[in-house]
Amino acid sequence: MVRTGICILVLFTLLPVVWMLWISLVPQPDFLFTGETAYSLDNYKNILTSKSLHFIDYLRNSLIISIVAAGMVTFLSSFAGYAVSRMRFPGNIAMPLAILALSMFPPISIVGYLYRVFASMGMLNTYGALILPYIALAVPLSLWIIMSYFAQIPRDLDKAGFVDGAGRYRVLFKIILPIALPGIFSAFLLVFIACFNEFLFALMFTVDFRAQTVPVGIALFEGLHGEIPWGNIMAASAVASIPLIALTLLFQKYVIHGLMTGSVRG
Amino acid sequence: MPVRKLLNRFEKREVVTAYFFLFPAVSVVVAFVLIPVAGTYYNSFFRDVTYLPRKFVGLANFSNILSDPDFLNAFRFTLLFTGMTVAIETVFGLLFALLLNEQFRGRSMLRAVVLIPWAIPTIVSAKIWKLIFDYSYGVLNFCIISFGVSSDKINWLGAPIAAFWALVIAEVWKTTPFVVIILLAGLQALPKELYLQAQIDGAGLWKRFRAITLPLIRPVLLIALIFRTIDSLRVFDLVYVLTGGGPGSSTKTLSVVGFEWYTSDLFGKGSAVSVITFCIVFAITIAYLKIGRFRESLQ
Repeated sequence: MVRTGICILVLFTLLPVVWMLWISLVPQPDFLFTGETAYSLDNYKNILTSKSLHFIDYLRNSLIISIVAAGMVTFLSSFAGYAVSRMRFPGNIAMPLAILALSMFPPISIVGYLYRVFASMGMLNTYGALILPYIALAVPLSLWIIMSYFAQIPRDLDKAGFVDGAGRYRVLFKIILPIALPGIFSAFLLVFIACFNEFLFALMFTVDFRAQTVPVGIALFEGLHGEIPWGNIMAASAVASIPLIALTLLFQKYVIHGLMTGSVRG
Repeated sequence: MPVRKLLNRFEKREVVTAYFFLFPAVSVVVAFVLIPVAGTYYNSFFRDVTYLPRKFVGLANFSNILSDPDFLNAFRFTLLFTGMTVAIETVFGLLFALLLNEQFRGRSMLRAVVLIPWAIPTIVSAKIWKLIFDYSYGVLNFCIISFGVSSDKINWLGAPIAAFWALVIAEVWKTTPFVVIILLAGLQALPKELYLQAQIDGAGLWKRFRAITLPLIRPVLLIALIFRTIDSLRVFDLVYVLTGGGPGSSTKTLSVVGFEWYTSDLFGKGSAVSVITFCIVFAITIAYLKIGRFRESLQ
């Protein structure tokens, strides 16, 4: 019975992905019906070299925005997580809960107002217009992951550091952070993936290839003569997905750990 | 004085450093989440369109919306969509989690593979499913015709009911991995001795499941339910790309309607629908928590 279950699970998970790859390697999407099976990498060449498709621009934008946002989020959350898990101050329980509550707001209630603000500041179609909201949206998740990781590190380590004459900052950087690196990396991965895949904000705040991200690019893909270029779309999808899939498979331990700790906040 | 007592409990320098550590993270969240949400709430009380001067209209936007067929349809559709996807995901998620909880070779490989739908962008997933359901090029129609189920291709995305199920299937495919991982964590935390004891006592598979597994994973189940429900109520990406809200307006969710109003410069109405969406999310979360607590107190 377990074997059938495994088969079903694998088919369920992989069939659509296989379909995507298959279509990307075929010139005409109706090959099932016409029986033409001339496999080629034309679609990939198309999207990677065509200037008017701007796919390379989308990739570049997405990578820069996601890496910067994820880096900043984990950086800020490390400080905040350290404070919440180790220091005593009024609100050290209320604050994480408040931030958790803020993560419940649907993006649609944020997007309209921010659009107005960015428009009036001339910030539309810039990296900043995406990086800053992404940081704000990712802090709750990242904070909880890093916080739970910090909480598992015994406070005696801090105390040993103080006894040796180190101040708070040195204790944080030299002692605690290196131990917490796995948790921080988990948070970084999850935030990176989330930022890379984000759509609504990118759709609203960006206008052209100078700041648009991969999801927006793929969603708005148009053919030259109005027909939908499925081959190109699937090739672009494959190029966008394969790095993410590789990251997830390579670092599955960190991803799963992040998902689990990020969810046990309830 | 109570304040002085409070301040004496905390070492002043520690509090200052703590706030300093917290300030960047908190301020970004306040600036880009709290203030926009408050601003949206505020805006929902104004008539805010480009061709007329901005005017305070109180609850007029809300009463306007509540009689708007687009909104009512979106409201009904969103709740239906959420209910169906969360129910199916939970069942599938539990089954797959139980499967992954068993020992077999390649288990950790399979666990990683299960994450693949979660890792790929929602847009990509939506495009793939859009192609699968496509009238002319889709695999589904191909299978139907070659296996002789029907002699005509079916226009999946052209009929409201079929489009609904297309969305549900795509959403379940994309987000079940998340449920699986969470439930798996819960399952792996259960003590094995209970099962051994039950087996010795002669309890069958189903009985062991009902009496041991189900009650003990209730908290994790609740967490998965809450997260999935909140995310499902807010769905936008999938609908925008897979059906565009169509055919007609039949598959528009609340977020899609809000987006359309925002981009047609009906700012007040867009803000109002955002407020309503949030209220629904909030209400359902509270309901879940209450039900969870109630059940726990029954144990």
